[in-house]
Amino acid sequence: MRKRWFFVVGAMLLLAGLWILEADPGKLIPGAGGRAVARDFLGSALRPAFDFEDEGMRESGASFASKLIRVTGLTIGYAMVAISLALVIGLVGGVLGSRSWWTRPSFARRILRASVRLLATALRSVHELMWALLFLSAVGTSPLAIVLAIALPFGGTLAKVFSELLDEQDQSTAEVIRATGGGGLAGLVAGVIPRALPDLSTYFLYRLECAIRSSAVMGFVGIPTIGYEITTAFQDGHYREIWTYLYLLWGVVIFLEWWGARIRKSLGKGVAAKAVRGPIDLASLWRARGTSRFLRGSLLLLLGAVMLGWTMTDRWDSGVRWQQRMAHLERFTDEIVPYPVREADGDWARFPSWLSEKLSTEGYEAISRTFHLATVAALLAGTLALGGIRFAARSLASPEHQSSHTWISKGTGMLLRGGAMVARAMPEFILAFLLLGVFGPTVWPLILALAIHNGGILLRLGSEVIDNLPEGSRAVIHAQGGRKSALVLASLLPESFNRLVLFLFYRWESCMREATVLGMLGILSLGSLISDARALFYYDEILLWVALGAVLVFVGDLTSDWVRSRLRGKAF
Amino acid sequence: MLELKSATLRYGDLTALDSIDLSITPGEQICLIGPSGCGKTSLLGLMNHRLTATSGQVLFDDRDLADLSPGALRPIRSTIAWIPQTLGLVENLRVHQNVACGRAAQKGFWGLLRSLGWMSRKEKEKIFHLLKEVGIEEKIFTRVDQLSGGQQQRVAIARALYQQPSIILADEPVSSVDPKRARDLIALLTTLAHREKQTLVASLHDVGLAKKYFKRIIGLRAGRVVMDGRPEELDLDSLYQSA
Repeated sequence: MRKRWFFVVGAMLLLAGLWILEADPGKLIPGAGGRAVARDFLGSALRPAFDFEDEGMRESGASFASKLIRVTGLTIGYAMVAISLALVIGLVGGVLGSRSWWTRPSFARRILRASVRLLATALRSVHELMWALLFLSAVGTSPLAIVLAIALPFGGTLAKVFSELLDEQDQSTAEVIRATGGGGLAGLVAGVIPRALPDLSTYFLYRLECAIRSSAVMGFVGIPTIGYEITTAFQDGHYREIWTYLYLLWGVVIFLEWWGARIRKSLGKGVAAKAVRGPIDLASLWRARGTSRFLRGSLLLLLGAVMLGWTMTDRWDSGVRWQQRMAHLERFTDEIVPYPVREADGDWARFPSWLSEKLSTEGYEAISRTFHLATVAALLAGTLALGGIRFAARSLASPEHQSSHTWISKGTGMLLRGGAMVARAMPEFILAFLLLGVFGPTVWPLILALAIHNGGILLRLGSEVIDNLPEGSRAVIHAQGGRKSALVLASLLPESFNRLVLFLFYRWESCMREATVLGMLGILSLGSLISDARALFYYDEILLWVALGAVLVFVGDLTSDWVRSRLRGKAF
Repeated sequence: MLELKSATLRYGDLTALDSIDLSITPGEQICLIGPSGCGKTSLLGLMNHRLTATSGQVLFDDRDLADLSPGALRPIRSTIAWIPQTLGLVENLRVHQNVACGRAAQKGFWGLLRSLGWMSRKEKEKIFHLLKEVGIEEKIFTRVDQLSGGQQQRVAIARALYQQPSIILADEPVSSVDPKRARDLIALLTTLAHREKQTLVASLHDVGLAKKYFKRIIGLRAGRVVMDGRPEELDLDSLYQSA
């Protein structure tokens, strides 16, 4: 009964959302201009550029290859620096936000834990692009501002997830250490962190992957990373160059995904020791112990990349003088005070009327559109994934489930898995930007971009759930002569329903974050209000919309956390 | 010297231990036996103050553990080793790293961190020597999850010995190994503890093992001490008969 209600409410939210967003299905067919762009753009997919498309650039003797290296290097470098800062925030916040170092509970510790978690959630409620706009408005352009803009929300996310991972671990060793006189931190470092290490490092590498996507997107606020090159190439109609950048970005992200999976596997099973030749003594045993070259190499590679990132520019402040920055900051801090309050010499009595006017003229509508954008996109992503799981789950392609159309379903499965991989590797913001070029200024590009990216993630998570289910029900239905679709509908979906809904809420939460900024591409929502205010240097309004976006994401986070913790308690 | 004076432990309405009086002198080897749920684990928990008596006292060298501040409790705890039933080993760390945790109290946070990451040769040698005594020295650098159940139990014993405690509390230390290995492990534990003049309090459910290796047996049933003495004086079989 509850499941049926879930589908009914989902469908209603989807329809209501489309209606409120004025998403006319007719607009899904692009106009003649859009079709031409799409044809040219897709036509260039198999012919990525190996040199400048612009004649003048080619003749100038500039090297396209060195530009590619520079742009990719900057994209990765900023991400590395940002993630190294985020890791520090994440480790400190993760430990303070967890219970695992407590020798005993106390009021002070509970307060500390709750405040650190709240701070972490607040940091991640503001999207990195918004942080970037705030920093750029406050202190002007600099790579440092961009790096901090990524590091703060990512640090918050790492802190939140790390603290959950630490608390989830088996605490028995830490308990032994404490019971034998050791301190809480000793218990943490010897008993909890080593156990959590595979999960911690996998999640860290996933965030690194996200940081690279974010670093690419920072190109949209003027930093010369891949996103910047894609916008300029698109405006110049140099589609083949765009494909080169996209392939590079996808390559890096997909490599990281593979790397993370391998690291997890290596950390999980360890390496067997070699046989000891000659007498068994300490030295020979030490030499024969199992060590993983791959893990050591990975650690060195990561450290090297972070160091390279930090040293790639000695002008983190863009060479702008300190006094200039302070003057800028002073102006910013003056002007974030709402306009009527400023006019009345700091009389905050005028604030409520200003706020209610802003909200009623634009704010409420933008919030509602942002919310529905995220919800519609998450639901569509879920629907896409649900339709694809039947083909993408490997366990359904095993020999006993083969039908006469084996090669068709196998091929579809491979295509879907590959497509999902690319969809995951593609930042929503860049995808939305490209789709806007095809569909024109409607809300569809934003919906589609969110739905495609998150559909790719959900398809993978969903297929993994199906693949990890026990054989039982699969075998029974199949023995009864059921078809594959019957199998999926009757047995596998109900069995993993809670887990799939859990993933849907997890993605809905991140759609909400993303939805607050996608409007910056010019479609009415919180993001568009922010870019409008920025163009007019209305810092008070920028701050208002950023804060509203943060509240929206914050509430989304809390809702999703609540639903997920309730679902987790139920049997899967 | 460890003493319990009418120590009672309650969880809500449930009485886990009911007015226990016990006195344990240094160097004694004591076995706790009784049907499951009789309070063996709870009793061990009172002895290193992981559990606090609801009423009554637990005294260590005449000091009531409940009166001590966390800072004052630590040095006492560092002389009491504990081998929990689940062993409490970190499966994805190597044997030498797990054994090093035995001395967490003495090392402190940084010392322990160093032992985990860059253990000195001297410490490795010490642990190698210790592992020789429990018979798994060739496994010193093996990850715990690659060891058999019996070997893991030996690691837990080595960790307890490395602490150089005056008392060892062992909760069902041989619950998950076959009878032959169980015998070997209990023989090892009692011999080493005897040699080091350590007090040993172990809970077992195998009456035969208890009789063979321990001089003093304490029988528990429903949270009460129902017998306490030399094995030959006690009618141990009656302990398991339904009341």
